[in-house]
Amino acid sequence: MSDSLFIEIGSAQQQKNGEDCFGDTVYSKKIPEERRIISILSDGLGSGVKANILSSMTTRMAMKFVESNMELMHSSEVMMDALPVCQIRKISYATFSVVDTQLDGKTRVFEMDNPPFIFIRDNKAVNVRYREIYSEKWKERTINISQMTNQEEDRIILMSDGVTQAGLGNRQYPLGWQRQGCLDFILEKIRKNPMISANDLAHAIVQEALNKEVAKKAGDDISCTVLYFRKPRKLLVLTGPPFDEKRDAEFAELVSAYDGKTAICGGTTANIIERELCLKCEIDKTSFDMTIPMCSTMEGIDLVTEGILTLTDVYRMLKEGIDNNKNNGAVRLTKLLLDSDRIDFVVGTKINIAHQDPNLPMELEIRRNIVKKIFRILQDKYLKEISVKYI
Amino acid sequence: MANKVRVRICVGTSCFVMGAAQIQSLEFNAPSDIADYIEIIEERCMNLCKEVKTKYNSGPFVWVNDELVEEATYEKVVNKIREEIKKSC
Repeated sequence: MSDSLFIEIGSAQQQKNGEDCFGDTVYSKKIPEERRIISILSDGLGSGVKANILSSMTTRMAMKFVESNMELMHSSEVMMDALPVCQIRKISYATFSVVDTQLDGKTRVFEMDNPPFIFIRDNKAVNVRYREIYSEKWKERTINISQMTNQEEDRIILMSDGVTQAGLGNRQYPLGWQRQGCLDFILEKIRKNPMISANDLAHAIVQEALNKEVAKKAGDDISCTVLYFRKPRKLLVLTGPPFDEKRDAEFAELVSAYDGKTAICGGTTANIIERELCLKCEIDKTSFDMTIPMCSTMEGIDLVTEGILTLTDVYRMLKEGIDNNKNNGAVRLTKLLLDSDRIDFVVGTKINIAHQDPNLPMELEIRRNIVKKIFRILQDKYLKEISVKYI
Repeated sequence: MANKVRVRICVGTSCFVMGAAQIQSLEFNAPSDIADYIEIIEERCMNLCKEVKTKYNSGPFVWVNDELVEEATYEKVVNKIREEIKKSC
């Protein structure tokens, strides 16, 4: 895709204390053909399962409407009509914020009843002018529409009222944290770490909101989505030896020519690079773990790990979440993948005969299969730009 | 004793799943009688598995000084180390 701009999306959520599921829904989608990203945050009326249904219906419907460029007021009315009516309050209701952005930077934001989004440029908050539109059918609902052209290092932050009202009733924050409090916190965070990733920032905001709450128990669902516009961070992942040994040199050349971070997964792969580029590779004992073989260090390479076991565990963590208390090769590789925007996989297709022994555990998958699973999940769940090359 | 016993453990994928992971724990909790006399070195795949059946039995492969332990287990390696220590005493 574009070399100029990349949009990183990170979200964090905390459900209301005592509830099993989130009453807010966040949902983002990348449409590669149109070079377009749509991100939605919706807060359902009340909390728990009912709110979850309302907000998930809203996000899914809104996604379909925005995606197909439907007229906005009409689609909002359809959404209001379709939502089930709350038995207690006799209204059908869920708020939403939609960011519809294209990779050349053109962005539109539609909001209904969520706290106004925060827009940050050059480490300062910028107020974006908006236009209000009203529904004929639902008089009390207004939608705010803002438009802007984004540039590098811009951030758009969406949040539910759980963030701005955090701490409500707490003596220190009688009116809650408020949007201003949240904004000050965000600016401080960015001042300390100007490159903070969208994911880290979203989690920091939700955590800080939770800290404001009485006894640190969430009084409402707290959700936050951060869109961060920046230059793509590139990562090259080499795994497996080339099918034809004659191509080893060409394979190693890819590493030395790459303008980004590099990771090597596989003992034999590391041996090839070590030999071809005359680099020294040493085992890194700080990555000791009983389930994953240790990493190595190689000059100029950001990470060197074992192959198939590590990749299998990386896939598991991409699905289930990172094991934060570990520091083995798989955890390091997962973090590296998540911190990158564009990931180029180069997969050597030589079959390791030693792995075909029927006495070995079933988990020893064929490399191509596990890489395929990893890149699908990175693409669909984490919205990364992926390329794969077999050699 | 002047020279420590060099224990080189292959931690390539197939050796690792066949049990090298357990042998690795020698690094942190070796039996007290040998703990001070060994030097543990983990090696990436030593490619011995490529010649399983033609040249070697199966892994995990561990070198104790210059002797190769095939189908290594924790006990096998510890016994081998004790033999080596005795030899050099």
